[in-house]
Amino acid sequence: MLDTLVGNAPGVFHWLVLSTAMFSIGIYGLLTRRNAVGILMSIELLLNSASLNFIIFNRFVTPVSVDGEVMSIFIIAVAAAEVVVGMAIFVALYKSRKTVDVTQMNLMRN
Amino acid sequence: MNEAILTVLFYSFAAFSVLLALAVVTSRRILRAAVYLMGVLVSSAALFLMLGAEFLAGVQILVYVGGIVVLLVFAVMLTRSVELLEDRPSMIRKLTGFLAAGSFFAVSVAVLSMTQFPVLRDGARPDSNVAAIGRKLLDYGPEGYVLPFEVISLLLLSAVIGGIVIARKTAVSRATGDVEIMTEIQ
Repeated sequence: MLDTLVGNAPGVFHWLVLSTAMFSIGIYGLLTRRNAVGILMSIELLLNSASLNFIIFNRFVTPVSVDGEVMSIFIIAVAAAEVVVGMAIFVALYKSRKTVDVTQMNLMRN
Repeated sequence: MNEAILTVLFYSFAAFSVLLALAVVTSRRILRAAVYLMGVLVSSAALFLMLGAEFLAGVQILVYVGGIVVLLVFAVMLTRSVELLEDRPSMIRKLTGFLAAGSFFAVSVAVLSMTQFPVLRDGARPDSNVAAIGRKLLDYGPEGYVLPFEVISLLLLSAVIGGIVIARKTAVSRATGDVEIMTEIQ
């Protein structure tokens, strides 16, 4: 039992498959959600798996430096900025249109 | 023994985060999705810790779980998405999403399984993760990140100002007829 566990220690491939899976789930959410806040959540999933990917490569490809972790910090900062602006837009849209359904947003169409 | 513990932790956290991520994108109640997202982010922090990025794990909890999820919950509440149950996505929408996500996953895994990732710069890992990141962020040499760091701080500032302006403008313009919104702002 213990030997099989030690033999199956996660390598770089396992980690990358995990982050790819989370990214794919984010893509699915992005394409199926109708509520704008739900779409924002899917984007958070995407950004989170991207920063996980950076840390994985940092750990397994250049373990001596911390460049990937610095990139992850930047991703987290961008995610925070994006959520602030996104939330402000949704609240403003909700006030004027009473909905945040993205299929009904056609302000720029005509 | 250490390896065995790491393996068990990896697979349990991986299963946990994938299941919760699926719940985030399929849950019809948006507030529940926010709570599931919090679970995903916390287990990501645990995964960061397993990868030796303890500073990132702390930042993840502080910014994502403490800030972004709270903001998302606010967005849910302010847009009254709590009360309405989201419609089930139509079959064609589901199929498109599934095809896009599935094909991305299949192609990525196929490419990843064929690729070797050589260790480019091997050596001792820095003793203090936090100190190494701090030096990297403020280093203005060829391998430093002081310029992106400054750009990010400007981006955050402009995002905050932009958020205030966007949210405020509509409130003021509709204030004449709508007392309820005015009291909400004050």
